[in-house]
Amino acid sequence: MQIQPFSVNDGNGIRTNIFMAGCPLRCKWCSNPEGFEQKERIGWYKKQCIGCGACAAVCPQGIGIDMISDSGNCIACGACADVCPEEARRQMVSVMDADDVIREVHRHRLFYSYSGGGVTFSGGEATSQPELLDCLSRELYDAGYSLDIESCGYFDFERVRPSLERMDLIFMDLKHMDPDVHKEYTGVSNGLILENIAKLGTLPQSPDVVIRIPVIGGVNNSEENIASSAAYVHDVLPSAKMELLPYHRLGMVKYDALGLPFGQDGFYTPDKEEMKKLRSIAAAQGVTITDFR
Amino acid sequence: MAVTKRIEKIKDYYVNTKPHISYERAWSWTKSFRRTEGQPHLIRTAQAFYDTCCELSVNIWEGELIVGTSGEYRKCAILTPEFGWLWINDEIDTFPERGQDPYDVTPEQTKFIRENIFPYWKGRSVEEAFLARTSEATKKIGVDTGFLDTDSKWRNGIGEISADYVDVLLPKGYGGIRAEAEAYMAVLDETIPEQKAKIVFYKSMVLIADGMITLGRRYSEKAAEMAAAETDPVRKKELEEIADVCSRIPEQPPKSFREAVQFVWFVQLGGIIAENPLAWNPGRFDQYMYPYYKADEEAGDIDYDTALELVECLWLKYSEWAWTISKNTASFFAGYTNFENLTIGGTKVDGSDATNTISYMAIQATKECMTHQPTLSCRIHPDCPPEFMEAVTELVSTGCGFPAIHGDRTGYQMLSNLGYKPEDARDWNNCGCVVPHSRKTFEWTSAASISFAAALEFALNQGRSRLSGEQVSLEEKDPKTFSSMEEIIEAWKKQFRYLVRHGVISLVTAQEIHKEIGHRPFMSACNEYCMKNGRDLVDGGAKYNIGPVFTGVGLSVTANSLAVIKKLVFEDGVTTMAEIIDAIDNNWEGYEQLRELALACPKYGNDDDYVDSIARDLADFFYEEVTKYDDLYGNHFVTAFMGISNYLPTGKVLGATPEGRHAKDPINEGVSPYTGSDKSTCLAALRSAAKMNHDIHSGGTLLNLRLNHDLVATKRGRANLGAMLQSYFALGGFHVQFNTISNEVLADAQANPDKYRSLLVRVAGYSAQFTNLSKEMQDSIMARNAHEAF
Repeated sequence: MQIQPFSVNDGNGIRTNIFMAGCPLRCKWCSNPEGFEQKERIGWYKKQCIGCGACAAVCPQGIGIDMISDSGNCIACGACADVCPEEARRQMVSVMDADDVIREVHRHRLFYSYSGGGVTFSGGEATSQPELLDCLSRELYDAGYSLDIESCGYFDFERVRPSLERMDLIFMDLKHMDPDVHKEYTGVSNGLILENIAKLGTLPQSPDVVIRIPVIGGVNNSEENIASSAAYVHDVLPSAKMELLPYHRLGMVKYDALGLPFGQDGFYTPDKEEMKKLRSIAAAQGVTITDFR
Repeated sequence: MAVTKRIEKIKDYYVNTKPHISYERAWSWTKSFRRTEGQPHLIRTAQAFYDTCCELSVNIWEGELIVGTSGEYRKCAILTPEFGWLWINDEIDTFPERGQDPYDVTPEQTKFIRENIFPYWKGRSVEEAFLARTSEATKKIGVDTGFLDTDSKWRNGIGEISADYVDVLLPKGYGGIRAEAEAYMAVLDETIPEQKAKIVFYKSMVLIADGMITLGRRYSEKAAEMAAAETDPVRKKELEEIADVCSRIPEQPPKSFREAVQFVWFVQLGGIIAENPLAWNPGRFDQYMYPYYKADEEAGDIDYDTALELVECLWLKYSEWAWTISKNTASFFAGYTNFENLTIGGTKVDGSDATNTISYMAIQATKECMTHQPTLSCRIHPDCPPEFMEAVTELVSTGCGFPAIHGDRTGYQMLSNLGYKPEDARDWNNCGCVVPHSRKTFEWTSAASISFAAALEFALNQGRSRLSGEQVSLEEKDPKTFSSMEEIIEAWKKQFRYLVRHGVISLVTAQEIHKEIGHRPFMSACNEYCMKNGRDLVDGGAKYNIGPVFTGVGLSVTANSLAVIKKLVFEDGVTTMAEIIDAIDNNWEGYEQLRELALACPKYGNDDDYVDSIARDLADFFYEEVTKYDDLYGNHFVTAFMGISNYLPTGKVLGATPEGRHAKDPINEGVSPYTGSDKSTCLAALRSAAKMNHDIHSGGTLLNLRLNHDLVATKRGRANLGAMLQSYFALGGFHVQFNTISNEVLADAQANPDKYRSLLVRVAGYSAQFTNLSKEMQDSIMARNAHEAF
């Protein structure tokens, strides 16, 4: 889990973003590879590294400065991150208990009040640890905070329902309308996701819902796919808004730090003109297009 | 954890027993004064204190861990005839049966008091001196009138002071205070008049310290004696511990949490014996007690529950002492309330959050004991920890009215505006009900009650009381001939200025008398700068000498009334001044339709600038006018809107008012909306109140609101309440407190008092047991509008 205390694009106002590690999808364009699995991860940012060797000196596993070749032995104890003078070694995923998370959220409560912000659960996948999500969202709901969630949509709806009932705003992704293409690029079919989008309409508090399409050039940016996605959303959940976000490569540095291959050369970032056009195509299906940037 | 059996038993006694008058203290005092004729008054007072400490009954009651009582009864009320005895002589026969705050007293006691105590004080009391020096004109408007009242400063001990536990009492103990006085004295030269006076002062310090040390030793001896005779091994051990603690306390500085609790109670008891004071404040309890708890806990000498039980014992001691007051005063301060204000939370002097384990323990003790004392106050700063806010709002949700909740920054600003240094202003504690205060200060915090509505009555009735017809104030033209709002406001100001003038005259007179025969050696010993300066409090020994406080009452009634006249007469033209005057002269009888129109006009408490701006102008004028005057010490007078329960007696003396109120109905307290007229949301009521310039009214401002209990029944609801409080403070508000008990419950309590003996409710600036309030007070609480939604 990681906490980002000043998040301004995932809901209203100034928000604290709680990243829950672990994701059932493996989207080929993912920008947060550290969130794939529920385990602690240390990253190595080579560009910052001055090669001083402080990390190697404290590593209980005897891993050297170049940890990538040795990463199988890393136990993510964090000793190297603590001593690194340049923050080239970083704890990218850590274990936190609920109390720590809540304390961290409380710290910024004044900023939430004045900005109309709150807390956003994100990931990895926000629903990947349903019990923890339930516990955190209950505590934070009782404390009176505005709660949002961002999800890939691939989860057991009834198990997550109590948490969803506390949300003011739910973001859910819809990556492709074609089940086979969806499976090819994300590892899972889209049936459960489509079902869950429809089920959001059964939540008693009628939260605001935003269905997001990460527009990946070369994968899902066809006019037909955008139109049919929007038509589906408008059909099953007329109150939902949509947000179209262009693909970006900001995650590349993380792949590098984790020593993972960055296999995204086939994707491109749609330009402003293309995004504008795609948004108008979605809007033509009757959905309201929104933007949190 | 449920309360222990011990606490349960003490609590049962407390809620089911009427306080009993004890004359022991008055008798010792009188005998001592007979022996010291001719001595300086300061020495006589200190000697009387010492003698009383030697003679007072020493009792350790069943189950007690913290000991010390001001007389021979466990729930004790004492007499201070040196301040005032005329009213006691007049009223004592009615004490057991009177409606508000009765006391038990036997006919034999009454006879003894009349034969042995009062005769000595005849012609010698502060009260008689005041009445002898006060003109007929001042008496007519300012003695027992309900228009302007100052009698708490010349019929009772002053109180209104905060003990300095941090720099004086805890680190020194009374042994240290004694040694310090001796050391100062040793280098003074009696041939130099100024130094000679200081010698007198230091002698009085030695007497006070000796009195306190004697008191502790007597309790130690008593406990040892009882332990020897005790057959129950558990109690025997407890008594031995008491004997041990009191063999050192309060002579030596406490070394443990338990010793510190006993120390704090002995200091409180000393103050009670010395002055029987109103608003004798323990101050920032969590700040000075936490180091003892932390040290003991780390050493493994105490755990949370043990400490909590001791704190609860202390809470019950605070509550067993009953303030002895006149029937008139009881209508202002109903419910045996003596305002021992104990403050928790807020920020430290360095600006960081001050909450600690003791802050939470204090809240828990109040919740479990449900005692009306201490008057629990909290300071809330902008970054208050959510856990503390939850504890505070959770206590609010029990309906007990505690704690009184204050904005940290506004309190700081109020003291800054009086010239406090930042380090002292940051360390503020509460005094009485809602007064931001300091342990470095001498101030009469609730000196005059001044009625805005009385000034309106005089302006609209040629200076006469509408009920009695008597000319009590300045003459004015026939109100039916007023031709503009400006003219009416000017008339109100003229009458209000007259009230302020007589308040100033009364209070300076009272100050002069206290300087002569109101010395306060006990309180001076609790004050760092009195010792440094070698001067008693009444001689200006404290670091800060602040002018007496005028507290305004009837702000919203007056603003609402002026809004009605402005709208109906001068804007809409639907009625005339003549018709309005006739209507209120007839208490609205035959003018029901006009009254409906008046009731429909904008009312303060609904976030309507039309009337809120009038209220703010009146409040600002109050500040400008009062602060023009200087007191005996050269300090300007101070304003406040604190209110207490004076909205009942000050309403009773007034005729009907233009906003629709009937004759004799209550007016309003503090900056609160008029009862039931805040019909919009709770937020609107808060916004109206926040439009007043709170920070200039350095004597404190008070806002009472009622909330539907459902609003605070859930944790999220309480969090919303917390957010609402923070918003009010961000807007500049100072204090707010809530009643959350439904009228169904209150009505049932009225009908079945025995079922509800421990039901605590908010009155105004304080809480009291509902069943200890008179029927009219109960009714007035039930009439407040309960907000159903935020």
